[in-house]
Amino acid sequence: MSAVAELQAPPTRSSVGRFRGWLTNPWGRPRFLVVMTWAYVVWSLVPVLIAVQFSFNSTRSRTVWQDFSTRWYWGDPVDSVWHDPGLRSALVQSLKLASADVLIATPIGVLLAIGLARWHGFGSRPSNFLMLFPLVTPEIVMGVSLLLIFTEVFTFVGTGTTAQILGHVTFSISYVVVIVRGRLFSIGRQYEEAAADLGASPTGALVRVLLPLLAPAIVASAAVVFAISIDDFVISQWLSSGGDTDTVPIQIYSATRAAPLPSTNAIATLMMLLTLASVTLGFLVWRAFTRGERRAGAKVAEEFRTFEMR
Amino acid sequence: MARGEIRLIGLSKEFADVLAVDHLDLAIPGGEFFSLLGPSGCGKTTTLRMVAGFERPTEGRILLDGTDVAYTPPHKRNVNTVFQNYALFPHLNVFDNVAFGLRRAKRPKDELRERVAKALELVQLTGLEKRKASQLSGGQQQRVALARALVLNPAVLLLDEPLGALDAKLRKALQIELKTLQREVGITFLYVTHDQEEALTMSDRLAVMNGGRVEQVGAPQEVYESPETLFVADFLGVSNLMDATALGTTGGGCRVALQRFELEAGGGASDAKGPVKIVIRPERVELEPHGNAAPNRLPGMVERVIYVGSAVQVIVRVATGETLQALVPNTGKELPYEQGTPVALFLPVDALRVLPVGERAAPPEDAAETAAETAPVSTGPS
Repeated sequence: MSAVAELQAPPTRSSVGRFRGWLTNPWGRPRFLVVMTWAYVVWSLVPVLIAVQFSFNSTRSRTVWQDFSTRWYWGDPVDSVWHDPGLRSALVQSLKLASADVLIATPIGVLLAIGLARWHGFGSRPSNFLMLFPLVTPEIVMGVSLLLIFTEVFTFVGTGTTAQILGHVTFSISYVVVIVRGRLFSIGRQYEEAAADLGASPTGALVRVLLPLLAPAIVASAAVVFAISIDDFVISQWLSSGGDTDTVPIQIYSATRAAPLPSTNAIATLMMLLTLASVTLGFLVWRAFTRGERRAGAKVAEEFRTFEMR
Repeated sequence: MARGEIRLIGLSKEFADVLAVDHLDLAIPGGEFFSLLGPSGCGKTTTLRMVAGFERPTEGRILLDGTDVAYTPPHKRNVNTVFQNYALFPHLNVFDNVAFGLRRAKRPKDELRERVAKALELVQLTGLEKRKASQLSGGQQQRVALARALVLNPAVLLLDEPLGALDAKLRKALQIELKTLQREVGITFLYVTHDQEEALTMSDRLAVMNGGRVEQVGAPQEVYESPETLFVADFLGVSNLMDATALGTTGGGCRVALQRFELEAGGGASDAKGPVKIVIRPERVELEPHGNAAPNRLPGMVERVIYVGSAVQVIVRVATGETLQALVPNTGKELPYEQGTPVALFLPVDALRVLPVGERAAPPEDAAETAAETAPVSTGPS
């Protein structure tokens, strides 16, 4: 009897040992990973949250908290985002560039992705590889070369909004291609073949089958393009013709170097919300479109969960 | 003549350096349930895909009701396909999946509704029109794929291992259903499978393929009972294969020598001379008490007795050193054999076949499979 009790009694351990057991118990949750993840989340989010908090400060200080106020958004008749002409035009310019970028880069990127994924022949591999170049080229290099091209070769473009849009489109296309091509590979050729088998012409198969199946990837890539365009500093700056072609990041940068006010925080907060909104929208649409496809996976996940609870 | 006659003439397909289909000749009359049977990599799916139009033949002709369609794009051919994993459009519901082809053909609305309803009735899916493909079971998805193809009244229905993804019991049920359906609609079914039982159960005729070529064409019984090549004998069911020497023709068949034993084989290449293989199905091997010296008997010793449910498998090592398998139906009585029992094996003359040992020797099934899998790798620069 006592032998059994002895066997069943857990071995006594020091508090350090117990803490290590809590952290690394191979049968329990992966707590070490959980701790690391939360540490990273806090580290990356706290500065942002502080910046957001001071955008609502009632005084001109960006370091000493006074009271909650929306003064820097629209209350202040001179320096608020709404009333300061510089900030306002920057916001408009940023939105203009991002929208144009989405409208131009997404369709081109989708067609390129389909072409690259379906084209097997001489030159297809290098082209597939070269598509990744804009993703790895330092942005500063791309900015300089684009500036050279627009001021020396295609001088009719010059600097300003057109040049900025062309610049944004140039590097955004790669993102669209990478996202859409991934989806293309995962859906494979079978649906197109089925469509052709049922009498759909190549164009018919593209419109009736391929594009609807690509929709989640197209929306997601549009959201990503919007987010990276609105966030872009380097290319917008190189191709800016000054004044009203300055974007929000450029404004924030120069304001911070001169006399920073909480209105800088306010416009940064707005930018963050826009980016978050576009990415969230993209994610939600992706989920809505792929609900059926995920059901099988969800079933497996459910089984795992019940298994885990036992 | 029934619609849907297929003739393949000298059909070849080369991928990189691999000849997937090698000068194939086949004639399939309209309204037949015809199967292409073979191990993976034998070229059966490539053949089907060429008939469907997804692959362009490197060489040869595909005659569909007398017209060469080898270079007609798939959307202009009067054939429809049931894909291995069904390829139901996930963004459309059952009705729209089935209506897809009719919409491409711009059929009027009432006709469309009527034909979709009829097709769904044919596969017993009425009432599920609004479901998405992901909300159906595997068997139901398979039926939608069938309805989607049949609604267009094709001359030929192509089926690429359509039962491969289903569990064994459902597969059995659907085999019978498919065969019934084929009789009902009366069009040609070209069925690709690696499952010999499926091919034997359903086909009017079948072709056994190996290495891009047809080894034998015939009715299921013919191909099973009278295999013409080693590959067919080995691939279809379990066969006992033995090395022997053909001595020449006698009245009914061929005399063969296995070392010091002489047997008479009634089937196969009766005029063969020299080294041959002889083959017999396990269910035709009869076990007799030891000492029976009548003709066509081989003495041996039971090596193992395996209970397989409906039958008992008895493995016997015969005096020539080879092992033979005998399949004894399970009648509920205990068998008087156990490991070490000396027995005589009776190999009936009509069940014993002589096969020439040609260059087209059959690789064992798994070896063929491995070869097919490693083939694309070996085509790269090495």
